[in-house]
Amino acid sequence: MNNSDFSVNVDTDPMEGATPGGITPEDIKRARDRWSVRTAREKGRKRPWNLLWLLIGPGILVMLGENDGPSMISYAQTGATYGIGFFIPFILFTFGMAFVVQEMTVRLGAATKRGHAELIYTRFGRFWGFFALADLVFLNLLTLVTEFIAIRAGLGFFGVPPVLAVLGGFLLVMGATLGQRYWTWERITLGFAVFNLIFVPVAIMVHPVAGQVVRSFLTWGPLPGGVNAVFILLIMSNIGATVTPWMLFFQQSAVVDKGMTGADIKLGRIDTALGAILAATAAIATLLAAAPLFNHHIQASNFQGADFAQALVPLVGKVAASLFAIGIFEAGLVAAITISTSSAYAFGEVMDQAHSLNSGLREAWRFYGALLAAAGIAGVLVLIPHAPLVFIVLIVNVIAVLAMPPAIVFLILLVNDREIMGEYANGRLANFLGIAVTVLLVLAGLIYGLTTVFPQLLNLKL
Amino acid sequence: MKNNSVYANDIATQQSEAWVREMLEPDQLSSAKHTVGLLKLTGKMVVLLWGLRVYVVLMVVMIGLQIWNTLHAGS
Repeated sequence: MNNSDFSVNVDTDPMEGATPGGITPEDIKRARDRWSVRTAREKGRKRPWNLLWLLIGPGILVMLGENDGPSMISYAQTGATYGIGFFIPFILFTFGMAFVVQEMTVRLGAATKRGHAELIYTRFGRFWGFFALADLVFLNLLTLVTEFIAIRAGLGFFGVPPVLAVLGGFLLVMGATLGQRYWTWERITLGFAVFNLIFVPVAIMVHPVAGQVVRSFLTWGPLPGGVNAVFILLIMSNIGATVTPWMLFFQQSAVVDKGMTGADIKLGRIDTALGAILAATAAIATLLAAAPLFNHHIQASNFQGADFAQALVPLVGKVAASLFAIGIFEAGLVAAITISTSSAYAFGEVMDQAHSLNSGLREAWRFYGALLAAAGIAGVLVLIPHAPLVFIVLIVNVIAVLAMPPAIVFLILLVNDREIMGEYANGRLANFLGIAVTVLLVLAGLIYGLTTVFPQLLNLKL
Repeated sequence: MKNNSVYANDIATQQSEAWVREMLEPDQLSSAKHTVGLLKLTGKMVVLLWGLRVYVVLMVVMIGLQIWNTLHAGS
């Protein structure tokens, strides 16, 4: 039997569309994807890239999604503050940490076929599950606000009014889901995410000295101003913001929705590594693109998204500045799509409702409603006159770092749970790396949180 | 004729079901997702989870206080 032999109507609600044996339209769509993967795997020796093309997605999306509006602005601020030096190899290091953590979610999803929120609820109970979900929902809402701020700032550079910018962003989030098919949603979002690399041509256009870049990788320097308390804070905040809770929930749920199994874990790792490399490249390019501001001693500590593009115009020209603004818009848009989807996945999993992008609108209206409500509420908040948007951008990073330790501990406990993980449970190396990253993140969270709450600690000279 | 049509649909549905079950692993089916039981939490795990929860609550309270102080300092 081949892919075209279906007679079941996949556009009806589950009661009409499900077969007497309980096969739902979601199952049928996922089976079609698996048929493609199985066929590609059988022809794997002749066309290995075809299988990779089918299985990439969650890893690239989560990593490029993490290169969101606030992150790109943060990389630009780092470039404007420190220039080419220590932070270039450091960014690569942080994405290495992100890979270690996200790889565990690939195995969790492929082994258990369950989303992160569902697994926490079913393994740890409703009491602990409620806390994990409350952290996620609150943080996702705040983060989504920052993404719409980036969308507004990026398009604002081109004179687009805020209402139109936010509405456009919301419609694109909605448009990605209209196919009611995971594969379609994933490819549309990947199409948007590719534009994260728009910072690469911008970096080339500012003509960075190649020798300086190479030297920074070899020496982890220079570091203007040396090691001081502010530098430590910046290091810790960067480490702490590398992996955020929504990433854990999103990638695991996406792996499940995509239908990945134990046989796909190897390519899931490649997908995640590829995403980390692409995201690190875009992040380093953003730092390089903003480095001319450092060279010209322009104070950029209070810059927001479009401010960087405006400041770059006299230094690198209108074209490069425009590309930078498009990049900020794209960063906000892709993160808005992925984070609102992670909220909807978690909501559906916990409420025991249909929670797949393969589900139709009628059978999963609550899932799609949660997705659009998350994006819609954030969009409306951004448009409220005199809303403390800058304050929200600042506070969201703090809260993200504070919420990370409990989330990553749940992850480590789950991925060591042999009852559900079987042969895919963490080995010694994975546990060593995972626990090392966890300890680093917990310490970063503590130090970042304490220095934020007690700013007088910054006066301590090291 | 009507009976033949129904019969043909039943055959097609059975074939489709069989094909879907062949393509998906058993626990990938929508109808088979509730087999994982509660984990028996050890004392250490409970202490760890409570410690992290207290940590988050304390930090949130401290940030709230800092926001309160900042707002009042500005007014």
